[in-house]
Amino acid sequence: MAVVGKSGSGKTSLIMLMGGLEKPSSGEIIFDQQSISSFSEDQLADIRKQKIGIVFQSFYLIPNYTALENVSLILEINGDKNAKQQAEELLVQFGLKDRLNHFPTQLSGGEQQRVAIARSMAVKPKMILADEPTGNLDSENSDMISKLLFEYADKNQSSLVLVTHDLKFAEKCDRMIKIEDGMIV
Amino acid sequence: MVTSISYALRDLTRSYKKLFSIIVTLFISLFILSLIINLETGLKKELNNNAKVLLGGDFEVDTRSKKINEQFLQELKQQSTVSSTIEFSTMLTGSLNDDTNAFFIRLKAVDDQYPLYGKVFSKPENAMQRLQNEKNAIVVNRKIFETLNLKVDDTVYVKQSPFKVVGFVETVPDLGRALLFGDFAVVSNKAFDTLNITSLGSFVNYEYKVKTNNSNVLNFVNEQLKQFPTYKIRLPENAANNLKRLISNFSEFLSLVSISAMLIAGIGISNTLISFINQKNTSIAIMKSVGFKSVEIKRIFYLEVFCLLFIITTLAYLLSLAVIPQANLFISNLGISLESEFSITNYSLILLTGLLVVVIFCIPTISSIEQIKATSLFRNIFQLTKFQFCFKNSVIILFLLFTLLGIFLLRSDKPYYTTTYFVFFFIFCGVFYLLSQLIIYILKKIKFSNHLPLRFAMKNITQERSIFPITVLSLGIGATLLLTLTLVGTNFKRELEKSIPEIAPDFFYVSIQKDVKDNFISSLKKQDPQLKYETVPIAPASVAKINGVDPLTYIKSSNDSFWVLERDRRISWSDTPPQDNPIVEGKWFDLQSDQLQISLDAKVARNFGVNLNDELTLKIYGREVTGTVTSLRQVDYRDLSINFAMIINPKFANQLPHEYIATAKFSDPKLIQEAKLVQKFPNISAIKVSTYLGKITSLVNKIFIAVVIISSVVVIVGLMVIASAVVVQARIGVYQNLIFKILGLRSGKLIQANLIEFFITYVSIFLIAGLFGIFTSRFVIETIFRLGWQFELMPVFNVLFIIGALTLFLILVNTYRFLKPSVYPMVRNE
Repeated sequence: MAVVGKSGSGKTSLIMLMGGLEKPSSGEIIFDQQSISSFSEDQLADIRKQKIGIVFQSFYLIPNYTALENVSLILEINGDKNAKQQAEELLVQFGLKDRLNHFPTQLSGGEQQRVAIARSMAVKPKMILADEPTGNLDSENSDMISKLLFEYADKNQSSLVLVTHDLKFAEKCDRMIKIEDGMIV
Repeated sequence: MVTSISYALRDLTRSYKKLFSIIVTLFISLFILSLIINLETGLKKELNNNAKVLLGGDFEVDTRSKKINEQFLQELKQQSTVSSTIEFSTMLTGSLNDDTNAFFIRLKAVDDQYPLYGKVFSKPENAMQRLQNEKNAIVVNRKIFETLNLKVDDTVYVKQSPFKVVGFVETVPDLGRALLFGDFAVVSNKAFDTLNITSLGSFVNYEYKVKTNNSNVLNFVNEQLKQFPTYKIRLPENAANNLKRLISNFSEFLSLVSISAMLIAGIGISNTLISFINQKNTSIAIMKSVGFKSVEIKRIFYLEVFCLLFIITTLAYLLSLAVIPQANLFISNLGISLESEFSITNYSLILLTGLLVVVIFCIPTISSIEQIKATSLFRNIFQLTKFQFCFKNSVIILFLLFTLLGIFLLRSDKPYYTTTYFVFFFIFCGVFYLLSQLIIYILKKIKFSNHLPLRFAMKNITQERSIFPITVLSLGIGATLLLTLTLVGTNFKRELEKSIPEIAPDFFYVSIQKDVKDNFISSLKKQDPQLKYETVPIAPASVAKINGVDPLTYIKSSNDSFWVLERDRRISWSDTPPQDNPIVEGKWFDLQSDQLQISLDAKVARNFGVNLNDELTLKIYGREVTGTVTSLRQVDYRDLSINFAMIINPKFANQLPHEYIATAKFSDPKLIQEAKLVQKFPNISAIKVSTYLGKITSLVNKIFIAVVIISSVVVIVGLMVIASAVVVQARIGVYQNLIFKILGLRSGKLIQANLIEFFITYVSIFLIAGLFGIFTSRFVIETIFRLGWQFELMPVFNVLFIIGALTLFLILVNTYRFLKPSVYPMVRNE
């Protein structure tokens, strides 16, 4: 699903609410057949850990962790004993075989975003929330990132919620909603 | 340059809140430094200005226990004004039957010329005139006046002779040690003659103060002294040596404390500044992208710091000037008064010290600006800068550091202590830095660990740009300083509060003549059959030569054992070594030999450079006798038993005229009838040990209060530095914690990781800081203050616990702040 709208319309707020990063001032959020509005911080953290992957426009990788460590981290949090191996396989699939032990500062923007997507996909979450994932990238990298997002969301049977200004990108989604002043129109 | 200044000022006015901890630490440490420097120079200046007043004349002829030769005196009087004073120790009582208030006093007999310089502050004001005009008049010090509840014209007794009290004195200008610390009274020379003084027995000292404008008078006296070798000249520069030594030791310690505060503040400044630069990361990158060079940006930062330094130094200096008059409360009995006076030299010195410290610690911090690249704007990644030590920086830092140390060494009266202190300070810094590197090395080697929080903690510590080493350094040095000051404080307090030593007697009795000795002891025994007593013979002697050379020509008054040379000392003799004075080198006397043999206090020997078998020439009753040092003893004067710096062999000494000194310990204090003894043996003086200790305690208490106040301020600086290190660490962790949280890591795990990091860091620091604190406090207590040091576990534990708890609290508060959901929108804004 693509979420489109002008700046300040409430797209990112919607994603924040869906990811349990912010609590609604009113109303209810139902995720995976349960209301998460009243969940505690730790319960929300558990849901994100196992079922939600988030991709940011600014990547938000941990600067002092290598690409491999950034991805294996989420697997380790979930108790995966082969975290490193799985993370490595995923990064190789994402075309980062030669960049496994590079720190984020040593990667290009496109490479950083691929690491960020690999991190969000690593645990095969039920839902991926992507906030302008190609906003900081050139068209070639944008195409590669959108391809990876759709391909792996499909492969993992994850729902993809995509916030974007790019209508071409949004049109690739099964469904598109438009937000204005915090309302779906 | 003008542009840079305007940028700096604009940035400073907008960002000063972020530099709050720099402002506070710099202000506190500069204030302490200003206060100590102003106090020290004020006191020294006051002592120098009043040198003639403190001595009582342009110079003084000290004829010791004998009157001056009459012809010499007359000739001297023809050329100058001479005031003769006599000082001796005796007992003063309020009534002949008073059992409770007998005072051991220093009685000063003065003539109508007294004082040649300065003024006696008495109440009523005419007391000194009445003293000279009326028969047997006396003025006492305020304490005696108040304790005995005296009124003008009341009667007191000295050696059973009645004296009319014509007033009391606050202070006399020529301060001797006895007058400074003890009780005293003043009579006229005529009244003195009515007292039957046995010169040897009453510690009598004849002094002739001379006032003249003619410099030839001093030459005349020097010439005459060849005829009278027992006479000594004292010049104004030698006045109040004890006071000067006390001030010197005190200011030495506080100077070291203040420079420690400055250096620790420096660590805090670098912590805060690097955090400030990291917060301005983007701004700096943008400045670079629009064409600013690194050197220009660095200049702006330096200018900001210099502006702050200038303002803070001025405020700190002015505040210290405002506080100086309060110090007069502590020194009221010294007869000197400090005044606040702006000194451009002192202000420049403080500004220079501040500048050097700030620049030393800013160089690696501000140089880190070079690490920020304009390209990072395109990378869109949060970059941390780290301290930048290149070869050029290191050379400049070392040069500035040595300049700073040079300034302190030049100002120090005891460069040895200062150098030792600094050497250990930097050794400690080095050890803490190496400790951090060792921990990083060990943690990097540990590959296995499935415990996530442990792995996060390890990663935080071992990461490339970790501030772990600087945290260990600042926390380690801060904890060491805190522990040192605590142990110095507790040892100081214990020394003051400890009851009189077990073996200490209740009374010292001095001036016991041979003919009354047995009678006196039996009188004491009558009062208490269980009495424990000790009597030893004494005779006056002075050290004339050491290995044939006059020691006064090469041993300075700042020498810790100078007191042995200053005046006549009492020497004693014994067949066996004193039980509480173990021989540390050599053998006890050859009892068959009638040649002079000397057993010397080992510390005195060390301070004078005297070894076994060296020759010491003693002047005994005006005759110089040369003997050999046969043994060195460890003497602890604090046990308050009878101790002598010099003991000689009995076979030689038995021929000498002598008197006795005795100690007595009563089985029950109620049995002591002090006044009865004074009445029966008027020539014998009794010194009550508890009263004597009380006087010393009150003086040391004042010093202790000052040490505690200044130390507490330094401790606050230390804690602020620790806090700044923790806050910097936490700020750097914010971004990381946010991502962890977004990825779904429970806050409990993050807190666990922080706790593990805390324990890895602080347990090792505290062990080493504990050892360093113990070592340094021992150095300060034993070497600088010359007191007994003792380890006390509880204060060490308490301090370590408080620092640990405070640090942990700061870490958890900072971690928790950034785990709160309200912070998440940060992600959106960044």
